[in-house]
Amino acid sequence: MPLKKQIESVRNQFLADIESFPNDPPLIDQLRSKYLGRKGLVAQLLSKMSQVKPEDRPNIGKELNNLKIDLNRQFDHKVSSLLAKDHKYADESIDITLPGKEPRIGSIHILEQTLSEIKEIFISIGFHVAYGPEVDDDYHNFSALNIPESHPARDMQDTFFVDNKTVLRTHTSNVQIHLMENEEPPIRYIVPGRVYRNEAISYKSYCLFHQVEGIYVNKRVSFAELKGCLEYFIRHMFGAKRKMRFRPSYFPFTEPSAEVDIWDEERHEWLEILGCGMVDPNVLDNVGYDSNIWHGYAFGMGVERIAMLKYNINDIRLFYNGDIRFLEQFI
Amino acid sequence: MIISLEWLKEFVDISETLQELSVLLTNAGLEAEPVSIPESLNGVVIGKVKSAQKHPNADRLKLCSVSDGTDIHQVVCGAKNVDKGQTIVFAKPGAMLPGDFKIKKVKIRGVESCGMICSERELLISDEHEGIFILPDNLVAGQDFMEAYGHKFLSIELDLTPNRPDALSHQGIARDIAAIKGRKFNQLQIKTVKPNIDTVLSISIEDPMDCPRYIGGIVKNLKVGPSPDWMVERLKAVGQRSINNLVDISNYILLEMGHPTHIFDYDKLDRKEIFVRRAINGEKLTSLDNIEHKLNKTQLLITDGKSPIALAGVMGGLDTAVTVETKTVLVESAYFNPITIRKSAKTLQMNTDASKRFERGADPDAAERGFWRVVTLLQELADGEFASEMIDKYPLVQTQPSLSLRRSKLDLILGNHIKKEEVDHVLNSLEIESNFGSKDEWHCKPPSFRPDIEREIDIIEEIARVVGYDTLPTDENIYGTFRYYEPDPEKHIESISSTLAGMGFHQIYSNSLNNETSSNLNDKNAVKLMNPLSQEMGFLRTSLIPGLLKAADFNEKNGNSNFRLFELANIHEQETEGFEGIKEHKYLAGVIYGLENIQSVHQNPYQEDIYSIKGYLVALFKNKFGIRFELKPSDHVGYNYAQTILLNRKDAGILGRISPDWINKLDLDLKDIFAFEIKLDSIMRIISRKKKFSPINFFPKIARDLNLVMPESQPVGPLIKMIKNIGQNLVSEVRPVNIFKDKISVGKYKKSVTFSIIFQHHAKTLEDKDVNPIIDDIIGVVKKNFNAKLRS
Repeated sequence: MPLKKQIESVRNQFLADIESFPNDPPLIDQLRSKYLGRKGLVAQLLSKMSQVKPEDRPNIGKELNNLKIDLNRQFDHKVSSLLAKDHKYADESIDITLPGKEPRIGSIHILEQTLSEIKEIFISIGFHVAYGPEVDDDYHNFSALNIPESHPARDMQDTFFVDNKTVLRTHTSNVQIHLMENEEPPIRYIVPGRVYRNEAISYKSYCLFHQVEGIYVNKRVSFAELKGCLEYFIRHMFGAKRKMRFRPSYFPFTEPSAEVDIWDEERHEWLEILGCGMVDPNVLDNVGYDSNIWHGYAFGMGVERIAMLKYNINDIRLFYNGDIRFLEQFI
Repeated sequence: MIISLEWLKEFVDISETLQELSVLLTNAGLEAEPVSIPESLNGVVIGKVKSAQKHPNADRLKLCSVSDGTDIHQVVCGAKNVDKGQTIVFAKPGAMLPGDFKIKKVKIRGVESCGMICSERELLISDEHEGIFILPDNLVAGQDFMEAYGHKFLSIELDLTPNRPDALSHQGIARDIAAIKGRKFNQLQIKTVKPNIDTVLSISIEDPMDCPRYIGGIVKNLKVGPSPDWMVERLKAVGQRSINNLVDISNYILLEMGHPTHIFDYDKLDRKEIFVRRAINGEKLTSLDNIEHKLNKTQLLITDGKSPIALAGVMGGLDTAVTVETKTVLVESAYFNPITIRKSAKTLQMNTDASKRFERGADPDAAERGFWRVVTLLQELADGEFASEMIDKYPLVQTQPSLSLRRSKLDLILGNHIKKEEVDHVLNSLEIESNFGSKDEWHCKPPSFRPDIEREIDIIEEIARVVGYDTLPTDENIYGTFRYYEPDPEKHIESISSTLAGMGFHQIYSNSLNNETSSNLNDKNAVKLMNPLSQEMGFLRTSLIPGLLKAADFNEKNGNSNFRLFELANIHEQETEGFEGIKEHKYLAGVIYGLENIQSVHQNPYQEDIYSIKGYLVALFKNKFGIRFELKPSDHVGYNYAQTILLNRKDAGILGRISPDWINKLDLDLKDIFAFEIKLDSIMRIISRKKKFSPINFFPKIARDLNLVMPESQPVGPLIKMIKNIGQNLVSEVRPVNIFKDKISVGKYKKSVTFSIIFQHHAKTLEDKDVNPIIDDIIGVVKKNFNAKLRS
């Protein structure tokens, strides 16, 4: 029988043998010796190579080698699957339907998560983040922002006073003033922080909340850029297809001023999401930026409001009472 | 403010629905929404009450027959005022009233009722629901109610910003609509009246700064009576109840043209003159709403030369108010200084329709038109005779600024080029006088009713507002310079939160305002509020611990007794007097409570304890941030087992078990709650430090256990430290793994501590001969220093 035929015959014999493969390690070893041992069938075939015509040798040699690799692989495969099977049934006491050993996992507050998201979006378009004091003087919280004493605009924000000239800031805009007093333009910042309003506590208002204000001052800054910046933000925060509108409003520190609404499909109404506008020239002049040269835009938003809209939270007090049943929903 | 659609139509054509009109106004900065009756009500018609008798089975109900023009319906009605012959609003069966209220045939006390006679409230016209809405008799039965009559009550509510006093009237709103839609604005035509002079009125003003203009005049022979239907209906449409013709006229004009006027009963003035002056401290006046005010010099008064008769620009006095007996009146139409009126109203804690307009800036020119409007209406509606001249004291003439609007600035601010014709149209329709000069700029003069337009930027805003923000382009490019330093100085704080969250802590945010007890728990001086919401929130917190304890108590009471919480926030301290003495510091605090792990088939429960809290903090500060973490006993009164936390050898905070004393003071029900509080200011820089790689030691480790017996009172920490010292670079880890006490095998007052010691060399494989001498050294030193010996 030509060697080529013999190779086929050994292969077929092996295939027949592994059909009824023994489930016992000594028997597996025996079978392995029969084929792959020092005097096994493959070795015997190899010893016959000298009888092959030189021109056929490369071809036959290759086939023999393939056979050897093939058999080895099939042995290993069979053995390892047997071992795995063995292991699986080794300890009958495992009941995988029992609960796992879950480590306890905490949570970052949803307001901090929301704030991080806001910061990330603005940092991605060139804003830096700045922080400032929660207790400030009347000048930085009001007067410098074009809200003189005895102006009806003061009624827009109910204020906590420490003394006649010291307030708990009603917005983080006070930091705008500190920044501009200390830095030369151009500047581009967002300012997050805690702010206070002297309002009765209810499901929709609390005596404090968190705000993110933004300000960009440069030589040429337009309302069109403000729109571009905030549309970018809202698309990131609320989805690319979110409908939004800019409508005129009034804030003492911006002019023109706008309120931005997003459309709520479920409630079928516009919801206020932030206020913005071009920095009022008086504000620039108050900090010593020449308003003939410098222009800017500014905006402000409530972190609570954004989180409430985004996650359908219906009671602002839930943010502050530390109820784990609320907190663990935002792990 | 509520605006009536019918009334508005007197000044401008309106084809929009209420909804469309609201959107249009909102998009022009006048936030609006429909508040009234719906624009159509199917099946609601004019009806006539043919008969009204007592219900056979109920004393308080009436059985009526109502004609809808074609059929007669039997209707049971509960209103007292229903009567035969009335013209009423009839909702037929099948009609739908506001609030999805469907009218059906029903049996009421055994009698069939086919439809309903409506009250004003059911139609959302007013809150009136005591009786049915009785209509004028000229209406024909069967007509659709909304078409025939109800449309008079269509209205919208406006939420106006404080910069727009001119918009506080129907005329003002109409002017904006005309400007936005390019329609004609039909300004109110003012007539003057020739007087039949028989009275002389003297007006004088103490300080023209307070009252730049005061116009007065006398109208006599008045007949007080009901106002005409059209006036009653318009007032009703904006939510005001008609009183009588004299009172209504002043209210009507306020809503019509926005200028506040006042009508005094002239006969009740002691002295027949007007003197405008500041109040004298202690002076008293009872206002129209029957409240007596004790006055001071902040308030401006109208006096009759001696006694106060009105709080200027705020409210009239009760003693000189018009009544049904009034015959002669003094008409006031003035322009007061906005700041004076604001201070006055604020100190009086009053906010009236008049003060709202004066403090935002009334129109000094309108004082005259308002005067004539009152006089003509008194003549037309109350048969009055103008009996004096119009006395116009105008010592401080108000002028409007001249402004230039540069084309370059307009384009720069808006980022858009608006065509000249369009700009001209906006200026024109807002009555801003303008002409386009040679230097590519408009010379402008705003009208007297727009005190908010003082600068170029104000005009730019008006142009943007009227053309519509949505028509302005969006620029999606980023311009300007970028900076290259740390974009967020507090970025690294986030890794504190995420590490703690990973260790099972929930982050909380709690109220930074708390009561005196909470603020005074530690020795810090709290910042006190002048005007707190309540005493419970009278102080800024000096510590995060009370908030955490309250949250813990809340969760415990709501069925969760195993948790870890933390808060990362600012606290405030009044370190020294005054604003400069208020200091803000960033703190991190946490509490752990209950079981570290709950009972399960896999493990037994363990209580959280002082070692847990130490472990979490070591993991956070030492392992995460590479900060040297040490504790030293403290005598802090708020904590049991109090330990001062040293971070990089500096005092940074405290940990321990909260003392029962604090729990009691805060009135909470917690036991065994462990807490820590750390001031972050000093370690902020370290937290943000960049990490450095050190080469990994690949040489094998040798582990040895050492079992040492020592006095029971001997702390283990010093031994760990000592073992590390002796081992120098060779000992990489020392861990006590077991503490064992047994009188017999270990000895009385003794303990046996097993240390697992790991040896490793940085440059070679260690052998026993390297390790054994060190072990011997350790045994020698512990014997000498700690009275400890190897356990045999």
